[in-house]
Amino acid sequence: MTERTKLMQKIASYDFAIVELNLYLDTHPNDSAAKRRLSDSEHKSRELRHEYEEKYGPIVFRDSSDNRMKWIKNPWPWDLCEEED
Amino acid sequence: MWVYEKKLQYPVKIKNPNPALAKIIMSQYGGPDGELGASLRYLSQRYSMPYPELKAILTDIGTEELAHLEMIGAIVYQLTRNLTPEQIKEAGMDAYFVDHTTGVYPSSAAGVPFTAAYIQSKGDVLTDLHENLAAEQKARTTYDNILRFCDDPDVIDPIRFLREREIVHYQRFGEGLRIATDNLDSKNFYEFNPSFDKRRPRK
Repeated sequence: MTERTKLMQKIASYDFAIVELNLYLDTHPNDSAAKRRLSDSEHKSRELRHEYEEKYGPIVFRDSSDNRMKWIKNPWPWDLCEEED
Repeated sequence: MWVYEKKLQYPVKIKNPNPALAKIIMSQYGGPDGELGASLRYLSQRYSMPYPELKAILTDIGTEELAHLEMIGAIVYQLTRNLTPEQIKEAGMDAYFVDHTTGVYPSSAAGVPFTAAYIQSKGDVLTDLHENLAAEQKARTTYDNILRFCDDPDVIDPIRFLREREIVHYQRFGEGLRIATDNLDSKNFYEFNPSFDKRRPRK
């Protein structure tokens, strides 16, 4: 597994926690333990996303200050090849 | 609105092509209980939902289903890479191939194209929530059936993840149903339709 894939999997695991906790909080909006876990996961995801985007390019293309060449570049999420073409 | 993230919700890395498996997993892309139907069902039902928690659940689950649609697309794509016409014929994928080559097209395992007839948006809170509870269980059964044909751990792993999400969504819709009935008259939940009738909900 490449460093890039490892980093992406870490991000995906925190992001999954975020999705799951957000959904749970839709029906349990006052659960403070879940809110704390959500903000922990958000914090960790933000840090790792920043590292990933610095190294490999945008996960979300926000504006023209983002690196368009790296946004366009392979791999796209469904590409099997771990190395960039 | 939506913003695209250049990542999958859960990793899909399938080393060995398997067109026979792709053909059945395709059903969760555009089949009767697939992820495309799931996202359209929930994202369409949102508008007539009278309670804010339910608008939130439908938006968030509907959005997650789009991420699942993308995972299924990635699985089908990776299972159909680098195939010869012989392998395609042997796997029984030739009927699909003649119309779509190895492009990902929303259809059921039996080749029926996706249709909005797979979903319902009834404009009635209780009816729509029961539709959704049933939909999550039908999708869970479909994943269970897919798993009966899988022996590749690269495929089993993401399919198990998706199966588990059906169970979590079922749970959230169950809580949504409770929130809806808490807003209605427990002596007669069906007295009026809060999505349509202009009556003040009773506590």
